[in-house]
Amino acid sequence: MKKKKRAINAISIPVEIIFHIIMILFCLACIIPFIFVVIISFTDQESIRQIGYSFTPVAWSLEAYRYVVRLGDQLWRSYFNSFFITVLGTAISMLVTIMYAYALYRRDFKYRKFFTFFCFFTMLFGGGLAPTYVVCKTVLGLSDSYAAIIVPMLLNPFNLIIMRTFFQSSVPAELIDAASIDGSGEYSTLFRIIIPISKPGIATVGLLTALAYWNEWFIPMLYVKDAKYIPLQYLLMQMQTKVDFLVKNSSMIGAEASNIMNSLPADSLRMALVVLIVVPIAFAYPFFQRYIISGLTIGSVKG
Amino acid sequence: MSATVQTKKKEKMLSSAGIKTILLTSMVLPGAIWFFLLRYLPMAGIILAFKNYKVYTKDPTFWNNLIHSKWVGLKNFKFLFSTSDSWLYIRNTLAYNVLWIILGLVVAVAFAIILNEITQKFVAKTYQTLMFFPYFLSWVVASYFVLAFLDPTRGLLDHYLTSHGMAAVDWYNEPKYWPWILTICNLWKNIGYSTILYLAAITGIDTTQYEAASIDGAGKWQQIWNVTLPNLRPMICILLIMNVGKIFNSDFGLFYTVPLNSGSLFSATQVIDTYIYRVMTATNNIGMSTAGGLLQNLIGFICIMIANKVVTRIDEDSSLF
Amino acid sequence: MKKKVISCILAASMVLSMTACGKSSSTTADSTAAASSAQDSTTAASGDGAAADSAATAESVDVSKLEPVTLKMYFHGSNVTDDSQTMEAVNSYLKEKLNVTLEPIWGTWGDFDTNSVLSLQGGDDVDIYFTSSWSADEYNKFARDGYWVRLDDPENNLIQKYAPELWKTLPQVLINGATINGSDGCGVYAVPGYKDIATQNCWDVNVTKLKELGYTVDDIKNADYYTFGDILKKAKEKYGKDFYPLLVEGAVLERMVDNSIIVTGDSGTGNFMSYYINPDDLTQPSSYGNKILNKFATDEFRKFAEQTRKYYEAGYIDPAMGNANQANDTRSSKQLTGDYLIGTQSYSLGYELQASQERKIEVAMVPTTDPYVDTTSSQGAMMAISTASKNPERAMMFLNLLNTDPYLMTLLNYGVEGVHYNLNSDGLVEFTDKRSDYQPWTNGMGNVTILTPTADQGADFWTGFKSYYGEAKQIPILGYAYDATNTETQMGAVANVVAEYMLPLCTGTVDPDEKLPEFLKKLEENGINDVLDDANKQLDAYMAVKGE
Repeated sequence: MKKKKRAINAISIPVEIIFHIIMILFCLACIIPFIFVVIISFTDQESIRQIGYSFTPVAWSLEAYRYVVRLGDQLWRSYFNSFFITVLGTAISMLVTIMYAYALYRRDFKYRKFFTFFCFFTMLFGGGLAPTYVVCKTVLGLSDSYAAIIVPMLLNPFNLIIMRTFFQSSVPAELIDAASIDGSGEYSTLFRIIIPISKPGIATVGLLTALAYWNEWFIPMLYVKDAKYIPLQYLLMQMQTKVDFLVKNSSMIGAEASNIMNSLPADSLRMALVVLIVVPIAFAYPFFQRYIISGLTIGSVKG
Repeated sequence: MSATVQTKKKEKMLSSAGIKTILLTSMVLPGAIWFFLLRYLPMAGIILAFKNYKVYTKDPTFWNNLIHSKWVGLKNFKFLFSTSDSWLYIRNTLAYNVLWIILGLVVAVAFAIILNEITQKFVAKTYQTLMFFPYFLSWVVASYFVLAFLDPTRGLLDHYLTSHGMAAVDWYNEPKYWPWILTICNLWKNIGYSTILYLAAITGIDTTQYEAASIDGAGKWQQIWNVTLPNLRPMICILLIMNVGKIFNSDFGLFYTVPLNSGSLFSATQVIDTYIYRVMTATNNIGMSTAGGLLQNLIGFICIMIANKVVTRIDEDSSLF
Repeated sequence: MKKKVISCILAASMVLSMTACGKSSSTTADSTAAASSAQDSTTAASGDGAAADSAATAESVDVSKLEPVTLKMYFHGSNVTDDSQTMEAVNSYLKEKLNVTLEPIWGTWGDFDTNSVLSLQGGDDVDIYFTSSWSADEYNKFARDGYWVRLDDPENNLIQKYAPELWKTLPQVLINGATINGSDGCGVYAVPGYKDIATQNCWDVNVTKLKELGYTVDDIKNADYYTFGDILKKAKEKYGKDFYPLLVEGAVLERMVDNSIIVTGDSGTGNFMSYYINPDDLTQPSSYGNKILNKFATDEFRKFAEQTRKYYEAGYIDPAMGNANQANDTRSSKQLTGDYLIGTQSYSLGYELQASQERKIEVAMVPTTDPYVDTTSSQGAMMAISTASKNPERAMMFLNLLNTDPYLMTLLNYGVEGVHYNLNSDGLVEFTDKRSDYQPWTNGMGNVTILTPTADQGADFWTGFKSYYGEAKQIPILGYAYDATNTETQMGAVANVVAEYMLPLCTGTVDPDEKLPEFLKKLEENGINDVLDDANKQLDAYMAVKGE
């Protein structure tokens, strides 16, 4: 049955071949730089100095990874922190986002316009770095804890509005009327009926949120001093910014700077850090993707 | 008797409407509290844009400093317009944004439809995963890759050109190529992100609509035109509106890092964020940077309001609010 | 309607945040009142002895009468993962000496600039900050904005009361360089660190290659930038098309050739302001007098740019040197591979030995002037007391101790003897593996000359150090830093113009005949003359005050 439907509905073969060609070309453009990054991360520093970045380096080296592994326990601790922050942060963030977005989606919600504006306004206007820092640190007391990393980036008005839009395009208004006639409460409608049929949207926004948590290094830099809570991205970013800073200010810092710089495999290290960050999240990606490209099964639920 | 039943029913209706409002409000509340604490409270800092921030030495907390600093009116905004380059960076910022909003929309929607139509789902998933990779790479890393191609002495492209008897191009000193290079870089990095949004929206489309269309005898292209695109409309409109809000913002990393901060390229690479950044390295005045940000957002706000009005005219359901 | 909503929200948020801050300020006000009354008592206590001036040193403060105090101190550039053993030793020592507990905040190269500035702007409870002429919490500007406590305030002279010894050990040039116009008038707002305080620009010569070409270092010494042509030509012929003999940092090259120096206060703008030193006698003004000029409008600059263009077109300068972001990376990698003939370098003592080892070639440094002290270099590393500090007196006592007590200095810098380092038979420091857990940035810690020398440095290291840096001459305008408050708009515009033209002109990647007039015209359009007039007015005023 399904197969038949697909066959009827499929595009013609020549068109599909063209589609494949376009996609393959674009995907090559996307993946080659990453392969390049991986190659450089294994390149000997001496080779980079001689011939620059190249797909075919003169000499290979594990020095960059060795340098990172020397962080020892801190590295694994930070890996754990990153996972913990990403999972917990995404879960809480999604819960709050979905509830807020769902209420905004409900046309019969009395304060819909107000709360939409309340959220949207923050997308454009903010107090800036210093006032936000002061509020977080002194008013809310966020420092040196997991909360200090999770809370400041809990909501993103952009994601929230995207979520609302997903509800709009995948949840028919009649469904809610039907549920309310059946006597389903607001919360149970949301959790039992709406969420299951909005999986593609939730998975997408969830993915974006998880990526944001995983990639964040600036907020930990501001609010976390204790090495116990430092996530991976910040740990690696510290190395990166150190290298950059020393290169830029070497004349001011003097001999010590050039000492430190020469002991660093600066270029390959930079790339190795990218690899270490990207690989775990790339593995987590298919989990979300299952819901984003899921073929034809969803329609039947709506009936 | 029937009258009393009716009034009772009405009462019940009323109270259930009240309960509904309360319940829905309770759903919004956690988020609203967060917005209030973390976004609205710090907004008091916006007045920095109109002040000359100095320390109140008797008790230097941020709020005290803020209150006791002198008002300077619009002085902090002056730097944005007093330069001979104002027109240049305004033009660049707006032109790149307009071009990229349109281009990004067309390409992302096309890619989403292509991915959706490819029959081997596994292949489609692979494409989609690969497409997302550039999003992981920071502009700094991307700039190394661009450099590997364009390096004036040992780049791949100049190597190719010279070995084929053509003259090498000094890419980092020739502004005329950079609108193209920047456009390609921008598409390359951001398309995966918006494609996934459209793709998820397509996946969420009720398949019975396609079945109905195909029973009516609509071909694949007609289905795309008559079913897919109309269903994508809310997403397209929302993303458009939100992108329009960033019309006076620019991706600092792209314009600063990828051209390697090369001075000779300014006519093609100077945008508002790079301009403000360079001013800040010279003055480091928190009032001026706040003023710059405020102006960007005000312009974005006005543009969003206009865009939203237009969209509301055309299709109320797709508007932002 | 919508406007109303916005204004309501804005108003509400402001009102609320005002009340929030009202509350917090009242509580902090209470605590500062308490603190200041405590201060009063301590000052009163030491006030008796203060009449005896220098006799009332930190040593003479009766420790038993001091309240226990925790001092937070923000360091720059540290690489510290485990400070527990060191801090235990430091704090037990400090407890006994000053009844102080030190709580260091180990800023790293990467995070210091953002975090320290936020911490200052937010009024965080930190007592002492690292500051300098080049870090983001720039000494001069932050002193003007009121972030630092004036240390020699006539009404409460902390230096006189608590740090007279320290003031005696510092070279006069450092004190002169630290004396600036701040929020409380002309005075000292931070303790300058005694480190490599002089500037000396040198030609960094690859002697190995030079000998291969049949020249000696003397040939470089006897030549100057305008007569390098023959040597460079020979090198290019010998080593081929991909060899770029002149390895230059555009801005440094220009300063070396034209004898101009950095004027503190415009570092973010690519230093368009220039003061010309007199290479024959550094303590005297040059033929331009004590004036700040637009460096690009001088004849020197035109001549320099034209010569550089010739060298560039002859293939002596790598085109990569023309883009700001690529230049630094390329330069350091070419230095390390010895892939150059003549480079530019701002010198620090012992650099040629270190460079020879690293690059595995023979490196010689050929200075273009004698070492001199200018405002920027004298303010290379400093410690300032924040106006948010509740215990500025104790902070001053601590800084005095740190900069005069070799035991404390060595402990805080090198860690614990027997753990982070051992002393060898000559009494010199040899680091252990543990040192990698505890590596603060030595030059950022204050008076490094009281450290125990390391085995690499040799026993006489600090004697040589003091004689080299201690004898460096001060330029006439030492201590002057430009205050851009009145010309911020112009500074911003000029910064953008300079970023566009300067580096390409200083590395020859563009043609000066075409670009230089364009550049000068744009500079004038954007108000460079307002800035220069203002700067010269300030300089005259400063020189007048200084002359008194």
